[in-house]
Amino acid sequence: MRFNGVGLWTLTKRELIRSMKIINQVIWPPIITTLLYVFIFGMAIGSRIPHVQGVTYAQFLIPGLIMLQAIDSSYGECSSSIFQGRFMNHIQELLIAPLSAFEIVSGFVLGSLARALIIAGLITILGAVLVHTLPRDWFTYLGVLVLVSVLFSALGIIFGLLAEKFDHLAVLTTFVITPLTFVGGVFTAATMLPPALRTLELVNPIFYTIDAFRRSYTGQSFLAPIYSIGAITVLCVITLAIALRMTALGVKLRT
Amino acid sequence: MRVEAGEFFGFLGRNGAGKTTTINAVVGLANKSSGTIRIFGYDNEREWREARRFIGLAPQEFNFDRYLSIRDVLIFQAGYYGLRGRAVARRADELLERFGLTARARVEYTRISGGQKRRLTLARALIHRPRLLILDEPTAGVDVEQRLELWDLLRTLNADGLTIFLTTHYLEEAEELCKRIAIIRDGRIITEQPTEELVREGERLQDVFLELVRG
Repeated sequence: MRFNGVGLWTLTKRELIRSMKIINQVIWPPIITTLLYVFIFGMAIGSRIPHVQGVTYAQFLIPGLIMLQAIDSSYGECSSSIFQGRFMNHIQELLIAPLSAFEIVSGFVLGSLARALIIAGLITILGAVLVHTLPRDWFTYLGVLVLVSVLFSALGIIFGLLAEKFDHLAVLTTFVITPLTFVGGVFTAATMLPPALRTLELVNPIFYTIDAFRRSYTGQSFLAPIYSIGAITVLCVITLAIALRMTALGVKLRT
Repeated sequence: MRVEAGEFFGFLGRNGAGKTTTINAVVGLANKSSGTIRIFGYDNEREWREARRFIGLAPQEFNFDRYLSIRDVLIFQAGYYGLRGRAVARRADELLERFGLTARARVEYTRISGGQKRRLTLARALIHRPRLLILDEPTAGVDVEQRLELWDLLRTLNADGLTIFLTTHYLEEAEELCKRIAIIRDGRIITEQPTEELVREGERLQDVFLELVRG
């Protein structure tokens, strides 16, 4: 057996089952939060804001919110699933099976990607129903979504392996991902920021993800897609390589 | 140390002697610092895929996936070994029946008793039809009646050709079941011989064991 495709698919399915078993914890909260953002920021406050990138503020908000939830969900799925597996020891079921590091990492990433796609799909429907916006470029929509989900899933694997307690998983979310996401363009276009802050955005990796993704909705972006998508791809390759290496070495998995 | 195919082999030692570390090195849960381990001729590092397919592990701790039903614990474990389809479902049902778990097939493992969890550990280890079954304290926390039932079951599996590698702190269990026994002390094998030679007429394994491990 050169490649254990059945094993990989089984792990992906297991991750999906896990998400569905804790649906009230991982699927509905991002949808409810998005609804609140759309009503409060998009409709109530946003009605006083002029058009941004040629669309209403509420319509401008939707792609940013999809990215916000896709990032959060991808990181959360992999980090908590791996950490829980280590904590409860059931990750040993994978480690003793004929599954390579590549198959294990792919299984977790695909499970996480599926969850991100479900959430993104539901928010896309909300956007269409509530503020009448849909992606203009489905290829960019799907491509960026997949890249971003893979990037943050790999990051989730890395931190799921390194964490010693559940509290450690929240450190990256609370102190890095959430602040960078909020200042990375979920609620604002780069053109709305003062020039100094606009330059600072260029060192925020999440800015690249939101900027590239919003282009699929508005047809406009601050950076040319080659730069934003290129940057996301490079980060994706780096984090995946680290996650693969750590899994192959058995960091905090094997004694 | 060498375990012959079809053997019922006992691996004994005090706490911390290196029993679980040895098992972990065999199944791939520990990176070994030196030496080689061959499973039916396959090197467990270079030919790890082949080697792992031959091994079924029943660990001491219950480490089931809490998001799956008992039946799915078996079916998903088979999946990790690259097996799927109706044959796997049949095998899972057959093992649930054999281990008296059919009535609990749809519940999660947190809702079954300690004895049932112990049996589920064995069923999971057997789902992919391994040739070597590694048992780490298989009867820990099990009452006398269930322990005797498990012994019978293990004897039957061994008689059917399954190689069994057993570690246990219940020395009467090793004496009763194992054809050959090795004892480990501070990471080194200090004896490896047939049970009947290790425990002579009129002796008990417990006395021999204590004499050896105390050095």
